[in-house]
Amino acid sequence: MANSETIRATAGAETVPKKKKWLSYSVLFILPSFILYTLFVIYPTLNSFNLSFTNWDGVSSEIHYIGFDNFKEMFRSDRFYNALKNTLILSVSLVVLENAVALILAMLVDQVRWFKNFFRSIFYFPVLLSGIVMGFVWAIIFNYNFGVISQLLDKIGLGALKIDWLGNPDFALIAIVITTVWKGSGYYMIIYLAGLQGIPAELHEAAAIDGAGRWQQFRHITFPLLAGAMTVSVMLSMIGALKIFDQIAVMTDGGPGFATETLTYIVYKVGFGELRQGYGTALSLVLFVLILIVSLIQIKLLRKREVQM
Amino acid sequence: MHKSRKSVEIVLFAVTAVLAILFFFPVYFSLISAFKSNGEILRDAVALPSSLYLDSFKYLLTKTHFPAAMLNSLILTVTSVAFMILLIPMAAYAIERTGKKWTHAVYIYYLAGMMIPFQVYMIPLFKEMKAFGLYGTLTAPILIYISGSVGMGVLLFTSFIRGIPAEIEEAAAIDGCSKVRIFWQIVFPLLGPCTASMIVLQGLGIWNDFLMPSLALQSSKRTMIVEIFKFVGELASQWDMVFAGTTMSIVPVLIAFIALQKYFVKGIAAGATKG
Repeated sequence: MANSETIRATAGAETVPKKKKWLSYSVLFILPSFILYTLFVIYPTLNSFNLSFTNWDGVSSEIHYIGFDNFKEMFRSDRFYNALKNTLILSVSLVVLENAVALILAMLVDQVRWFKNFFRSIFYFPVLLSGIVMGFVWAIIFNYNFGVISQLLDKIGLGALKIDWLGNPDFALIAIVITTVWKGSGYYMIIYLAGLQGIPAELHEAAAIDGAGRWQQFRHITFPLLAGAMTVSVMLSMIGALKIFDQIAVMTDGGPGFATETLTYIVYKVGFGELRQGYGTALSLVLFVLILIVSLIQIKLLRKREVQM
Repeated sequence: MHKSRKSVEIVLFAVTAVLAILFFFPVYFSLISAFKSNGEILRDAVALPSSLYLDSFKYLLTKTHFPAAMLNSLILTVTSVAFMILLIPMAAYAIERTGKKWTHAVYIYYLAGMMIPFQVYMIPLFKEMKAFGLYGTLTAPILIYISGSVGMGVLLFTSFIRGIPAEIEEAAAIDGCSKVRIFWQIVFPLLGPCTASMIVLQGLGIWNDFLMPSLALQSSKRTMIVEIFKFVGELASQWDMVFAGTTMSIVPVLIAFIALQKYFVKGIAAGATKG
């Protein structure tokens, strides 16, 4: 290092051409990702605005522009409102349940005395598995005829309580929620755990000396100091819920009827199942707007937090 | 006082253990079912297998496309992740260290992509892939995965690079070291933890992905997850085989998780707070 000091002094005169050279290097470094990203993310996104004004089927080479017909049809279609309703029901219940379960799990693995890391791994592991594979395993657990829940109820003589979870429109969405909470909570648990470990132990000790009980400590210390982790976790679970796909594809295929059809699923079904890709892109733009709103709120909230710190 | 603390600890442990059993159950259920015959699964789903039944694995490995599908998944994951950690840190380094208006504009342009869900641009994207003659080849998903990771990747790497002091790089530059060499020999090795989280997060996402490969690939190029999905439809009554496939998709993830546990958790925490 001492050497570089002397070299730096003698090389001072060279810095101007070096800076120019760096400019060409930086272009070289940025260019490959720039081209790929523009070509395969930005261009198709812009093109989806274009395609939403056509009645393209996804196969033929002819594309006809039909103005706002897709959007008019969409806003008149019960199926669209049903999918929007399902998306919102799923998002709200998933955000509430995933965060509640994640917070409970984080507090448990933070406090528990024995096998801390083992428990953490168990709760976290479902996050790593494919939604398709696990959706399918849960579909068998929920199966009416020979599923695990049915078999257990039969064994203890409560066979009358068996439910056709996935075949009954009243229960199918609940089954999807249970599966998703099981699969996703471990992810948000890690975020809360990081938040919990950032709270200085002295705060709790001081409160305990002042006579605060466990609940009071949680209410007045833990919970307020977890606000940052909660902002991140709520927003991420919200975006995740808006994009939900795998579980529905494998467990219910949007059914029974349209009971579990969400926005992401209707885009897929209409675009690839019914070969109406023009209409499918129009539907996908609604999803885009929803995610954009949630992301912008997230950026705003995170900015605010940065200022506070 | 002392006694009550002990009992609180035992209650905490008991509650956590019960939840852990509930959480692990679906994984346990698929693992044990893989070693049962079809009849055994239908008769008693929860019980341990009566004998080590391996026929479904044998069938899966010798009579189906499953091994080829596993290879496809592996090729897709490794190639895409390799290109990501080649191209994204380079771009992030130039954006962060150049510090000009135009690189900041590129940075914002990249971040915007994080808000675009795949479902929004997939239909025009497949149309584009057909026009390029790439539709149905393994190249298409590789390009899609790399492009889709640019936003998140650049965000992660720029914030990491910001924390590295620039003095060493400046000294090397004065010694006449080219920017390419400075990047690969000095900066890139320092990015280790960030690169590891990128490999883990993206690798896992690609290995488990369903929507994109199911739509963009032909039957001969199916990935493992797509193959399992097709099994469920075609062989609805052969649960034994389906579970063997499920188990074979879980085991590599389980091994990777045990080996790289540290990076998995760090990667998720980094990805979440930065994303």
